[in-house]
Order: sequence, then C-alpha cells, then structure tokens
Amino acid sequence: MESPRAVFRTSEWDPANHGDQHVGQFYTIPPSQVKTVFPHGLPHRFQQQIKTFNEACVMVRKPALELIGYLKKADPAHPSVRYVLYGERGTGKSLSLCHALHHCSLQDWLILHIPDAHLWVKNCKELMPSSYHRARFDQPIESSVWLKNFRVTNERFLKQIKTSQKYVWSKREFTDEGRPLGEIVDQGVARVKNASDAVGVVLKELKAQARPGSYRLVVGVDGVNALWGQTTLRKEDRSLIDPSELTLVHNLRKMMKNDWCGGAVIATVTQTGSVFTPSSAYLPQELLGKEGFDALDPFLPVSVPAYSEKEFESCYQYYRDRRWIQHHRGHTEEGKKELLFLSSSNPAALERICAFL
Amino acid sequence: RLVCTSSTLQRKNIAAAGPEKYTQEFIKKQIEEFNIGKRHLANMMGEDPETFTQEGIDRAIAYLFPSGLFEKRARPVMKHPDEIFPKQRAVQWGEDGRPFHFLFYTGKQSYYSLMHDTFGKFLDIQKYQDRMRAEGLFSQDTKQVRWMIKEELEEILVQPISDHDCLRFIQLLERILALPYCSREEEYIQRFRRTLEVQSKKQKIEPLQYDESEVAFSTGEGRRKTATATARVLDNGAGKITVNGVDYLHYFPVLQDREQLMFPFQFLDRLGKHDMECKVTGGGRSAQAGAIRLATARALLSFITENEMESMRQAGLLTPDPRVKERQKPGQEGARRRFTWNKR
Repeated sequence: MESPRAVFRTSEWDPANHGDQHVGQFYTIPPSQVKTVFPHGLPHRFQQQIKTFNEACVMVRKPALELIGYLKKADPAHPSVRYVLYGERGTGKSLSLCHALHHCSLQDWLILHIPDAHLWVKNCKELMPSSYHRARFDQPIESSVWLKNFRVTNERFLKQIKTSQKYVWSKREFTDEGRPLGEIVDQGVARVKNASDAVGVVLKELKAQARPGSYRLVVGVDGVNALWGQTTLRKEDRSLIDPSELTLVHNLRKMMKNDWCGGAVIATVTQTGSVFTPSSAYLPQELLGKEGFDALDPFLPVSVPAYSEKEFESCYQYYRDRRWIQHHRGHTEEGKKELLFLSSSNPAALERICAFL
Repeated sequence: RLVCTSSTLQRKNIAAAGPEKYTQEFIKKQIEEFNIGKRHLANMMGEDPETFTQEGIDRAIAYLFPSGLFEKRARPVMKHPDEIFPKQRAVQWGEDGRPFHFLFYTGKQSYYSLMHDTFGKFLDIQKYQDRMRAEGLFSQDTKQVRWMIKEELEEILVQPISDHDCLRFIQLLERILALPYCSREEEYIQRFRRTLEVQSKKQKIEPLQYDESEVAFSTGEGRRKTATATARVLDNGAGKITVNGVDYLHYFPVLQDREQLMFPFQFLDRLGKHDMECKVTGGGRSAQAGAIRLATARALLSFITENEMESMRQAGLLTPDPRVKERQKPGQEGARRRFTWNKR
C-alpha cells in the first residue's frame, strides 16, 4: 500500500535537501554510506536496530534541520562556530549529531567524530605514562581503535593532506615532513604505544591546515562534558586523575577552541555515561561546569525536545510497518494512547517499551 | 466391694462427651448478668442506661479495652448471650424416653419437618389453582434478592444439614414460585430470602471544585504501606503528570510504576484528557506508585457516573491495600524466618 508508507517515510536520502516538509519522516541511509561514515558513530541501541530491521532509518527532526541550516549558511572564512546540542535523557541528541555529520560527509567535509568522549575518561584498562610529556597519561587501546575508525571514514583525505614537520617516534622510527597523513595513522595503529601521540599529531595537523582554500573540517563530539568533568581513573598512588592529565583529552580540548577557521564544531552534552553528575541535570551549564562553560563560550545552543505528536505518530507507524509491535493490542487506538502515556513521548523510552512488545 | 479399676478407666473421655452443653438456667443467668453489665457500662460512659444500644456497647468496649490485633474476631467483645453461646436444642424426649416430634427417628427432624410443611403448602396452592384456573402474580422485588445459604438455614433449624439437603429445599421453593397463585404463601417464602446490600453506596464522592481560570479540578488522597499521596486532577488536560515537581518519566524510571499510574485513566478511557499534579512522601518506589494510584482513582470519582464508580470498585481501584510489613517476633530472625537450626 503506497499511501500509508508515504506518510512517515521519505525517499530523499540526501540531508542537504531535507526541509520543513520532511519533519517527522524517516529517511534511509544507504548501507554503503553507513559503513564508511559511521563505523563507530552510531549509538549502540541504534546499531542493534539497524541489524534487526536491515536498514538504517533516521527521523528528520527540527534540531537537526536547524543545525544543517546553520552549517549551510556558515562562512568558511570566519572562525569555526561551536554548536551544543542539549536535552533530557533519551531525546535524540546523538542521532541528531549523526544526521548532521551525514550531511557533512555528503558535502565532502572531513569528519572528526568522537562517538562518546565518556569512554575516554572511565574504565580504561591500560594506562601508560606518556612518552612525550612526563606528567600525562596515555590510553593506547582507545587511541588505536579510534584511529582505525578514523581511517575508514576519511580515506580520501588521508592521502591528500601532508605533514608540515618531522615527527620522531622512537630511536629508529620517524615520519618525514611532507608525507601523507595516512602514514601517521598507520604508524599509530601499528605501534600501539605511540597511538595517543599519533592522535595528537593528527588533530594538530588537521587544525593547522583547515584553511578556507582547502577542505572543511567538522568536529563532532558526543558527550563533550566528559572533557571538563571528572574521571574514574586513578594513578598508582590511588589519587584521582584530572582530565587534563590525559593526552587524548588534552589534545581534544585544543580542538574545541575557536581559533581556527573553515569548519564547525558540533557537540552534545549528555548525562548518560557521565560520571558524578545527578540524573536530573540536562542543561549545558550544569553538565559542563564552570571550566567547561568558559572554554566553550561563546557557543550556539540547540535544544532537542521529546517527540511531538506528529513525530510520535510517525515513529509508531514505522514500528508497525516493520512488524516490530507484535502484541495485538499495540495495533489499536487505545494501545497507541497507552504507549504515548507510558513513554511520555520520549524516544528512548518508546524504543525500550516496544522492544518487548 | 472394691471392683478392680485402674486410673485410666476412671479418667473422663473428654472427646466422647461432645460439645459443651449449656443448661437453660445457665443461659438465663448470663442474660441477667449481661443486662446488669450493660447498665454499669452506661453509667461509666455517662450515657442513659435505658437507651443504651449495642452500638454504644461496642464503642465503649473499644474505648476501654483498645486492642491492636489485626483479626477483628480476636478483639474483646460484649454481646447478648444469645449471640455468643451457640443455640442448642432442648431435650427432645420426655421422662418416659418417648420423643416429642414424630420425625425424631429420621435424624434431621427439623429439616424434614420443614420440607414436610413446605410441600404441604405446595399441594394447597395446586388445589386452589385447580379450583380457580385464573392468573395471579408474585410481587416482584425491585432490589436484588438471594436465597438463604446453608449456614443461615442451619442457624434457623439449630441442626446441621448438608449441601444436598439445602439444595433440595431451595429447589422446592423455586417450584412453588413457578406456580401462579404463589402469592398466597408469600410471607412464608419471604422468610427464606435475603436482600443483597449494594456496596458502592458507602463510597463518598468529593464535589468538583473550580480553579481561577474556570478549569475544573478535584483532589484525592491515598495511602499504601507508609507512603501518602495527594493528587490533584485537572480537566481539559493533555496527559501531563507532575510528581513532587518532577516529570513522572524522571520520577519513576521503572515501567511498572508508570503502568500503575496509568491504570485509573486507562480503565475509564480518559488517557489524554486530564492533567495531574501530585505530592507523595514516605514509602518506597512501589508504595509511592500505589498510593498515587489510589489517590488518582478517588480524585476521578467526581468526574464519572455511578455505574463507572461501581465498575471501578469491582476492579479494585478504590480499595486501600491493607498489607503492611509484618512485625518481627522475638526468637525468630524475621517475621517468619527462624534462626538456622543446629543439631548441637
């Protein structure tokens, strides 16, 4: 049947062409792009949903459209603008970020996507003192994993960009000036000990070379409040580590400053996954703390609310269409009202409830 | 002459004697004592001894002997001796050993005599019908009525009967009712019918109150296991619920609690029509959800019809849950758990 399908789906797969008329509709990301653009970027539950439904369908919503509009209008000559997505738990901030990054990838920007900054400040199995700077700590596993995914996303650029200085890794290994950036990434992946430093080098190079003439760079960080919060990692003498003592965090903070032009920084502040924050906090000021707020100031806040009625209706129709709601009562009008009440129009809550229906 | 006996033969066999028999004089003495005690009690409470009713006695005893026992039948009680001592039959035979009643040797004399009388009336009505051959109707009862149950019949006959006997008796009465002209023996049959009381009349309804901006609202209170909740249900709403100032999705992250909140609205089909603000203190997560559910149901009473209220009562939405934490007993680890048993 064509007509019910048309209500909640759209065949427009390019986010650049999404407009207000597409709000509430689902668009499919072609599978080839899913692998290249988001090797590690999508939230875990969404990845499970992709596997179940065999397609990656994202809903077009107002906050994402707002972001894409700003990105289109932004002038590359100006310093990069920082956008912060905020909202209550489970309202769709990470997916809006992915939507915007998909748009950027189709516009041929260089994507620097950190799927969850909270993973870098907690539960680290191996912590080594940095070879480059004595007071800092390295995280080899996370760095190498991230470098691998970065290589998958931006293959093309890694061959184009050239290093601007010589980097010495150890007594026998070094990278000359003018070599493609891909070599540094390979070095980091091969030599896990130097992976964090490789990440630092990559970030520095990209920032330095993001001029109006060359490529445009977008930095997408999920959970940026982890960079200025507290960590759960301890040194050998059982004292807590400050985030600035971690190499990865230190380099990333430098990226977040707006002293470079030709790109944009999109960040989300989330409470899920953050340590030592109350679950009722969702405003940027509460989650970033004074230090983080000053570092990111000035920024453009974008609020992500829960589903509106139209969006809820369209999500419900999508689940029905995919035969996800099996219970016979779920197909009735009362069942829909029950779902609306129980999830209180929260996308994550709705997804969790429908998971066992 | 001393006959050889042992102490075991001389001991009384208590089980063979049967239930304790009260003599008529004993019962009369108890009744006198009860009346005198009633007057004393009235004097103690400062009420008029002449017009002191059984309700007054109950209130006085509850005041003078307060008891925290959960079982109502275990509490101290002062009632007329006829209600306390079970009714017993007077001796059925005379001095010569000959029984008074002609059906004594059937074993269940009152039951069979009742059946005999009722069947006699049945035959009377049939004879009358043969004579008249016209129509006549039984007066219809407007209220709900039911036949007597076996326990009530036993009480009237002062004799144990079985379920089968009770069934036969009720079948005979219904056969009488099926005849025209049964109105002749109407009062005899009415003795064996009881009315059902309607339970929901006991529920009181809060009147609807009106806010400043012409929005109708109503309040209700509920309690469950040391959690108390007050709910305010507003009309013309969109389904927003606030608990202690926080959205209900954040206050109750567990699905089960939100389902409890949803139950009163879903039952009345009013899911998206009301807004609610509630305050709740005490108890745990489940207790607070249950308390809010009861408070919501009571608040919604002012918006609905009587039939809906009856159906809500039958669904159990309006009944406060009496379960509380059982106390721990000395010598045991918890309320029911004993200490680990060691052989040595």
